[in-house]
Amino acid sequence: MATNEIVRMQEDLERALAKAAGSRSWVMVIDIRKCVGDHACAVSCMAENVCPPGTSYRKVFDAENNEYPNADHFFMPANCQHCDNPPCARAANKVARGAVEKHPDGIVVFDYKTMARHPKAAAAAKKACPYYAIVEDKGGYYTEATPRLEPYETRVFFENGEKLTRKNTRGAVRKCTFCVHRLDAGMLPACVTTCIGRAMYFGDANDPRSLVSEILRQEKTWQMKSSLGTKPRVFYIGYANRFEIAAATAAACVECHE
Amino acid sequence: MDNKTKRCELARIAEEKGISRRSLLKTGALLGASAAVFSKVDKAHALLEKIGSDRGAAYPLSRAENVIYSVCLQCHTACPIKVKILDGVAVKIDGNPYSAQNMIPNLAMKTPPHVAARVDAKLCPKGQAGIQSLYDPYRVVKVLKRNGPRGSNKWKTISFDKAIDEIVNGGRLFASIGEDRHVPGLKELHALRDPKVAKAMAKDAKAVAHGKMTVSAFKAKHKNNLHVLIDPNHPDLGPKNNQFIMQCGRIEHGRKELAKRWLKGSFGSVNFYEHTTICEQSHHIAYNESTRQYKKGKWGKGKHHMKPDASNSEFIIFFGTGFVEANFGPTPMAEKVTDGLATGRLKVAVVDPRMSKSAAKAWKWLPVKPGADAALALAMIQWIIANRKYDEKYLTAANKAAAKAVGETTWSNASHLVRIEADGPGKLLRASDIGIGGDEFVVMNNGKPAAVGKEAITGELDFSGTVGGIKVKTAFTILKEEAFSRSMAQWSEICGIGVSDIETVAAEFTSHGKKACAEMYRGPVQHTNGYYNGQAIIALNMLIGNIDHKGGMTTGGGHWHEDGSKLKKPFNMKKMHPGKLTAFGHKISREKSAYEKSTLFAGYPAKRPWFPFSGNVYQEIIPSAADQYPYGAKALWIHKGTPGFASPAGQTALKILADPGKIPLVFATDIVIGETSMYADYIFPDTAVWERWGTPHTTPDVPQRASKIRQPTVEPMTEVVKVFGEKQHCSWEAVLLAISERLGLPGCGKDGFGPGMDFTTREDFFLKLMANLAWGDKKGQALPDAGRDEMKIFHSARSHMSRITFDPKRWQKACGKENWAKVVTLLNRGGRWEDWSNKFAASNGTVVHKYKKGMNLYAEKVAMQRHSMTGERFSGIAVYEPVKDAMGREINDRGYDLKLITYKDILGGQSRTLPTDYWLSAILPENYILINSRTASELGFRDGDMAKLVSASNHSGEWELPNRENKPMVGRIKAVEGMRPGVVAVSWSFGHWGYGAADADIDGRKVAGDPRRRTGLCPNAAMRIDPALGNSCMTDPIGASSSFYDTSVKLVRA
Repeated sequence: MATNEIVRMQEDLERALAKAAGSRSWVMVIDIRKCVGDHACAVSCMAENVCPPGTSYRKVFDAENNEYPNADHFFMPANCQHCDNPPCARAANKVARGAVEKHPDGIVVFDYKTMARHPKAAAAAKKACPYYAIVEDKGGYYTEATPRLEPYETRVFFENGEKLTRKNTRGAVRKCTFCVHRLDAGMLPACVTTCIGRAMYFGDANDPRSLVSEILRQEKTWQMKSSLGTKPRVFYIGYANRFEIAAATAAACVECHE
Repeated sequence: MDNKTKRCELARIAEEKGISRRSLLKTGALLGASAAVFSKVDKAHALLEKIGSDRGAAYPLSRAENVIYSVCLQCHTACPIKVKILDGVAVKIDGNPYSAQNMIPNLAMKTPPHVAARVDAKLCPKGQAGIQSLYDPYRVVKVLKRNGPRGSNKWKTISFDKAIDEIVNGGRLFASIGEDRHVPGLKELHALRDPKVAKAMAKDAKAVAHGKMTVSAFKAKHKNNLHVLIDPNHPDLGPKNNQFIMQCGRIEHGRKELAKRWLKGSFGSVNFYEHTTICEQSHHIAYNESTRQYKKGKWGKGKHHMKPDASNSEFIIFFGTGFVEANFGPTPMAEKVTDGLATGRLKVAVVDPRMSKSAAKAWKWLPVKPGADAALALAMIQWIIANRKYDEKYLTAANKAAAKAVGETTWSNASHLVRIEADGPGKLLRASDIGIGGDEFVVMNNGKPAAVGKEAITGELDFSGTVGGIKVKTAFTILKEEAFSRSMAQWSEICGIGVSDIETVAAEFTSHGKKACAEMYRGPVQHTNGYYNGQAIIALNMLIGNIDHKGGMTTGGGHWHEDGSKLKKPFNMKKMHPGKLTAFGHKISREKSAYEKSTLFAGYPAKRPWFPFSGNVYQEIIPSAADQYPYGAKALWIHKGTPGFASPAGQTALKILADPGKIPLVFATDIVIGETSMYADYIFPDTAVWERWGTPHTTPDVPQRASKIRQPTVEPMTEVVKVFGEKQHCSWEAVLLAISERLGLPGCGKDGFGPGMDFTTREDFFLKLMANLAWGDKKGQALPDAGRDEMKIFHSARSHMSRITFDPKRWQKACGKENWAKVVTLLNRGGRWEDWSNKFAASNGTVVHKYKKGMNLYAEKVAMQRHSMTGERFSGIAVYEPVKDAMGREINDRGYDLKLITYKDILGGQSRTLPTDYWLSAILPENYILINSRTASELGFRDGDMAKLVSASNHSGEWELPNRENKPMVGRIKAVEGMRPGVVAVSWSFGHWGYGAADADIDGRKVAGDPRRRTGLCPNAAMRIDPALGNSCMTDPIGASSSFYDTSVKLVRA
């Protein structure tokens, strides 16, 4: 651990940002072996993006497997997979052109203004996503029925590089942006930096020197529901059971997610 | 749940929603749509290029001017945090990248703040949700006075000054609500005020307690001052000042030192408390007794805490704890373990009746029977000894020089001889006992007894015989005999783990040289046998001699001292207390005092137990006051704690608190109306942890030296009050200073720290600590001065604060102008950390910061002490004991067939965080009664059913809440595979009636509680009331941990 992985990935990021957007390719890698199910990523996302009450763009699912005393307990973080063939875009843009954009660096971006104006486009996008990665902003605040509406809910946030408040996103459907506003500031996505198991990696897959490229070369990775042809940009490293964690295998994930 | 494979929720949702793969594939085949997407690409491309750099500039949270570093306290791991501020509001909390707790390796101290601002370090979800504990709509911001019976949650707001006047002067304070009694004020309790008299009385009272002076001689000598004593016939109870008690929950360094300085040195009461015995005190006490050093005929202090060097370990067995939840703590520990798991460097075993999130990653999950940890450890020890897998070289080295000769930095008393008395092992043999020297310990060397002096000497490990007519055994032999006192099958039966699993784990533990650890925290020790469980686990570590080794157990990197006592400058705080009083007398909890060394000694049993080995015996304070043993309490200050909720059988404390006749004055400093502060007469609003100062210490899990600092990040929300003529936000410190102002207490106010050094605001104290940290412990450790750029950042980052909170001139005066630029460097980084270097990276050899001292396999002090109730001697070696009450009688609650344990979810702390922080409760809105699926179906319960917890000491299954509605302990059954059959687990954090859960009446107006805060259950009221005491939970007689996991319950359908 000579260099911290976060620092290394930020250096990777600097190199990527120096290039034209079209020549970088953002990907996320999640190492399930290191995911401890602590939800730090989910809470970080809620705070960073002022997610609607009760939602986060990142969910950590969990499931038991096998019987006592040989039970296993798996944790599975999931968010927008930033598909290269995004079903949400096809569905939403059919209703309202420009509702969903695919950026050249791979990020799938929702145009909240269009989404808010076209509830059917929003609904279509949400329904189309096979990853349940899209949340609705129905308005409302965590603290609205309490003695005080708290300022962390009404504050400005910077999703997609825009200055927004919850008033701007009411009615829209929302999702993970790979924290593009942070990327542009040379910072990694909030879920990646906060992960206490260091299970998450992010960077430019087009840069062979980047940590993500290194991991994609070295580890057996797997993409969720890849048989759907969605071409996700989130890669997973899985394991079969707790008795042999170090042996990365996609098999256990495929069992449920294909 | 059926017992087939439970499929991942994501897959399950897909099935429920009826979205088949085929329909998705069909959607995916709409190529026309995707063509439309890609037609957008070029346009978007251009857009991104154009605004790329502007976007970064448009993200203010990446700028150092929007960052203040401080420390979290959502749990006591107290992680350094980076608080990001936007328009004066704390909007996002991340880990501090300078901190070795949050970043491995951490950013070097020389890294400029504007660079660090863009590096976010890791932080657990509780820490991040600090935003919501800070901006909690139920924060108390004005002083509240009770306007109904205690606990009724009826209040009126009153001015700070009036409230302080009332608690200081006393009077008929509640006449307006029909309570005609006189409430004694603190003035009445401030009886002993003369430092000279106090010092003289303290010395003689101690002499009386130790039987070295008679009571009548004391009375004669102090005849003019006997009126200040609680009881002149028992001078060792101390002065009336002791009847003022400060009971703190989560208090930390900085405030802790100030609290002791004030309560003991300024007010003259010994009764300052932390909450440690409801946490994991017996673990600390087990370590302390294992590490006491013998010098000049006395056992000195020991170390309280060791942790695995998990970055380099190859095997760790976690007893009742882990690396993901609770412990010390997830943020620093998780990564070290997950890194090892993924690379194959590390295997872990987890001993826990519940499959914790740590056990989810364990190669061996050992679902032990609650409280049988010592049985498991002793079984492992039996296997290790039988198979000679212990480190003989380490264990035979009898002193420092011998250790050095075999390349060790620590040694043990495994080979030291112990005298065997009629009632068991007693004192360690001394050379003088057999005429071969003085006070040295003795070993068998080449068949002859030899004194353990300074020269290197080894001792026979396994020896039993007679030396100089005295029957002796080595400490190792005593342990061996205990380990072999039962067969492996018998141990297996007791602990509920199969013999082959025990053997496999013992073999694994001894297959990695020094790179294996037996780690523990709360699980094994919050039992009546907690201390012994702890000792058995520590013995495992001693058997392989892993202390100070890379990958072994370590005492951690330590810290620079904030009290200035090392460098003696700039502020040697301990010497800066003019007019300091000497507080004396037994504490109300009878901790740190032996029953036999008191004038109350009247044979066994004592009226309530005494705790000579432990401290901060939280659960004993209020019940002892009620029993007036050793004396009654007149005033109780409850601070940042909730003894009536967080202690096992906490309802017993509430019953006492509800009766003003028991403790006439109760006031609290709290950030909300909590479960216990609801029973106070007054609540003073405290500043939240993000609004105040502190100097929390670092877990030994961190290998580098680290001093972290808490500082205000935002303007405190509490009302502004005036104390000593200075405006300040109401806080714990303001209350303390205001009482001092009224009573004229020494060490506070004008010249409080010495001539020209006033103590009139919190900054006067804390900024001196900051200056000490900036200078370090030795010459040459001073931090560099902040330059112009850093000064600018420092001021800009605080531009949202009023002059009351941030007054640069005032701050400079408090810390000394000459120290200011160094202090700014410290504050700009949230503390100071040793830079990472190759020596920390090296995976072999010994750790950088070493313990370098002896370990006691045999704890002589413990062996020589008698149980204050049974009169029997304790054991100096780890033993297995069943659950016992205060009288030493075994508990057997027939008809209650389920064992109750608790745990903390990673999202929850003890009484805060869940469900009051809404981001966290969005993920976990309620807790459950976790139960093995087969046990559930045997009992006729299904997953999702509601059930009530009932125990032998709580038949109703309710929290009996005086002066308000009872709260049933009802929760949802969660039937899982990851539970030991016959055990139920309920997580902490839920089941509130305070903390915004209930409606309050303030100034005649209803403040509605939030139903989201009422969810789930708190199981503590089911926990066993000690049948011998009747008004408190059961307690470990040595380590004084309260018993959390020894209760048998049954589930009643609800």
